[in-house]
Amino acid sequence: MRSLLLAVLAAIPIAGLAQPTPYAGKTVTIIVGYKAGGGYDATARLLARHLPKHIPGKPTVIVQNMPGANSMIAANHVYNVAKPDGLTIGTFNRNLPVAQLTRVDGVKYDMTKFAWIGSAASECTILALRTDLPYKSVDELKKAGKPLVIGATGPGANTYDFPLLLKEFLGLNLKIVTGYQSSADIMLAIERKEVDGRAGSFTSIRPFIDRKLVRPVLRARADEPGVEQLPIDEDLAPNPRAKAIMALRSAPEIVGRPYVMHPNTPPELVKVMREAFAKAIEDKALVAEATKASMELNYVGADVAVKVMKEMLSQPKDVVDEFSKYVKFGE
Amino acid sequence: MLEALLEGLVLVLQWKALAFMLLGILLGFWVGLLPGLGGATTLALMLPFVYTMQPVEAFAFLLGMHSVTATTGDITSVLFGVPGEAASAATVIDGYAMAKKGEAGRALGAALASSLVGALVGAVALAAAIPVVRPLVLTFGSPELLMLGLVGIAFIAALSSPGGRGMLRGFLAGALGLFLATIGQDPQAGVARYALGTLYLWQGLDLVPVLVGLFAIPEIIDLVVRGTSIASAAPAGKLSHGAFEGVKDTFRHFWLTIRCSLIGTFIGIMPGMGGAVAQWMAYGHATHSARNAEERRGFGQGDVRGVLGPGAANNSKEGGSLIPTIAFGVPGSTAMAILLGGFYLLGLVPGPDMLSKHLPVTFSMVWTIVIANVVTVIACFALLNKLARLTTVRGSLLIPVILVLVFIGSYTSNNHYGDLVVTLLFGAVGYLMVLAGWPRAPLVLGLVVGKIVENNLYISMARYEAAWLTRPVVLVLIAITVAVIVYPLFQARRRAAAARA
Repeated sequence: MRSLLLAVLAAIPIAGLAQPTPYAGKTVTIIVGYKAGGGYDATARLLARHLPKHIPGKPTVIVQNMPGANSMIAANHVYNVAKPDGLTIGTFNRNLPVAQLTRVDGVKYDMTKFAWIGSAASECTILALRTDLPYKSVDELKKAGKPLVIGATGPGANTYDFPLLLKEFLGLNLKIVTGYQSSADIMLAIERKEVDGRAGSFTSIRPFIDRKLVRPVLRARADEPGVEQLPIDEDLAPNPRAKAIMALRSAPEIVGRPYVMHPNTPPELVKVMREAFAKAIEDKALVAEATKASMELNYVGADVAVKVMKEMLSQPKDVVDEFSKYVKFGE
Repeated sequence: MLEALLEGLVLVLQWKALAFMLLGILLGFWVGLLPGLGGATTLALMLPFVYTMQPVEAFAFLLGMHSVTATTGDITSVLFGVPGEAASAATVIDGYAMAKKGEAGRALGAALASSLVGALVGAVALAAAIPVVRPLVLTFGSPELLMLGLVGIAFIAALSSPGGRGMLRGFLAGALGLFLATIGQDPQAGVARYALGTLYLWQGLDLVPVLVGLFAIPEIIDLVVRGTSIASAAPAGKLSHGAFEGVKDTFRHFWLTIRCSLIGTFIGIMPGMGGAVAQWMAYGHATHSARNAEERRGFGQGDVRGVLGPGAANNSKEGGSLIPTIAFGVPGSTAMAILLGGFYLLGLVPGPDMLSKHLPVTFSMVWTIVIANVVTVIACFALLNKLARLTTVRGSLLIPVILVLVFIGSYTSNNHYGDLVVTLLFGAVGYLMVLAGWPRAPLVLGLVVGKIVENNLYISMARYEAAWLTRPVVLVLIAITVAVIVYPLFQARRRAAAARA
């Protein structure tokens, strides 16, 4: 009996040692490449509230905003300046690989070398048209007599790039009018009948689909609950080159809300973070909060994310050159 | 409709909502006072806390906080010449000049009273507009927004000193502002214009560091050079009785205050115009009320009307900018964009539902603005005379504090040291402009309006080709633009004729 008691007492500290808690008493900072209030920031703050209970040691998680240059500043910071101690996480513009691919001046990071945690959501782009227009399918669109006016914010945003590729490769008769301050302004322009439709992330357009202001017609490759029945733009591409370019544009959307750490972060810490993220995104409280805020999170693992990045950045030169003609780095 | 109005009031007066509103007011009081720490950023930081609240309580907190920042921002502008909020920059021009003359109390009284009037007008407009809001906002398309931007630019004429030379300088300053607005990635081809090879300038110049540099730094230099307190020109004993005088001024120029409130509300309603434009247009309009050349020159030296106009407009725009946010889900300003996040968090969908099913909640927001502003103004009046006394403190004690606030304020928006460089640079520019007698207001106006005009011009041309020029509202706005430019010239000619007679 006494030996049993001794064995149990001896096991307790050993059990404690077996689970190191490198995060105990520490503060983890999530650096967001945008100002407070936007989608990336909202997702980060939601995660910051629920991550601590899933990280052994229950550290504090805070959010720091580092806007600028469509989040290139934040990416450069996490890649070069942040300490590789597992206490700094970065989340930024999903289109950063495009900047790297098209060799934008100022890129000081390599998307394939970051220590990837994964993506907190996929953000599928769809094309939606005002409901009072008679076009319900892509075939009807192709036969449209006069050009459809599509509102956009600017090159580099999905509001602009998605319809541009549809116009160039699928031959849809679209007139893209750009310069709107935000996607909400484009929505207002649709109500005013100034424009006939817009492209954008499914999540942001969904309330207007529910309100029957617009109906979705076409989507990009990324999978998201709710878009399954829509035709995919790539499937309608006339040739393999067009398909490759459309795929290249859509690839970042699979890794819709990227979360990374410094390239030299110790692998055990990266592993802890990956598990914490996966569990936090399933956490009931987080899901409840997210649903209330019309956000939908789903964890895309680091291996998928790195695979997408590597695929994007290893495209042949002629594909990249033609891609660069249409798609520039923007928001 | 009337029942919803009363129901909204009842909802706000429940003790929990009221408690949250008071908490919000306390927070907003300090946020507005401290330069650079913006209402918009604080709103974003407070959003997570409202998740567990009921909608009425949450908006009592958020709106209570935000509607107060426009009032207390004017206080810092008047006392120290540092804009407490981006929307309080125009108050600096005459407000701080009055403080230097020893009339700080009067300026504060005028700023507070006009803020209250403006807030009430904005709230009434919000309530009254509810039946007509959808057709109203839908009528204003990109061509109309373009013309509104041009009307704003036309106000440069009003913001410049009278006379050929003054006008020329004003227009050149405005042109410089428009030029500075082009810095950044353009929305048509994605080219980074004038980014000087840096990542910092990709998205253009941020307004807060520019404003803080342009207005605060020259005043600080001036204070250092003079070596005295801010109110050096003051006869003793005049300060403490000023506040009531300021309130009387608001009623002396009542119709001006109302007109400027309406300008603020209207600009607030237009999505995308941004909060900074309204105050300058109101200031420009206030200068129209000068009856002779003497009075016109008095603007900038401490005319109380120069405080009343912007003071009213920057509060009324709050009620105005709620209108497109609630009715369409299109934010009228950055702060509204963040408030929109609050809507979704609470399970409300902005749109026709807010004007029908959830009308009491909408009205509770109106009442929140009214009550929050009344409470704030009363609280401020209690502290007013003590605050005004700060202007008699020796400059060498105040300057370090102001400088720290200025630099922290400039840094906090982006956490980037580039903002500090911009502040210093524009501080130098501002100082040179003051020395040379060039007006700074047109530069700010150009900077603020530039993007609005460029984007909407492009959209209008692309969508309608030349046909947009013949739209009815556009024609009306063209007439207003011409009137705004011509009126000061007409006034000057009339005065010259009267002087000859």
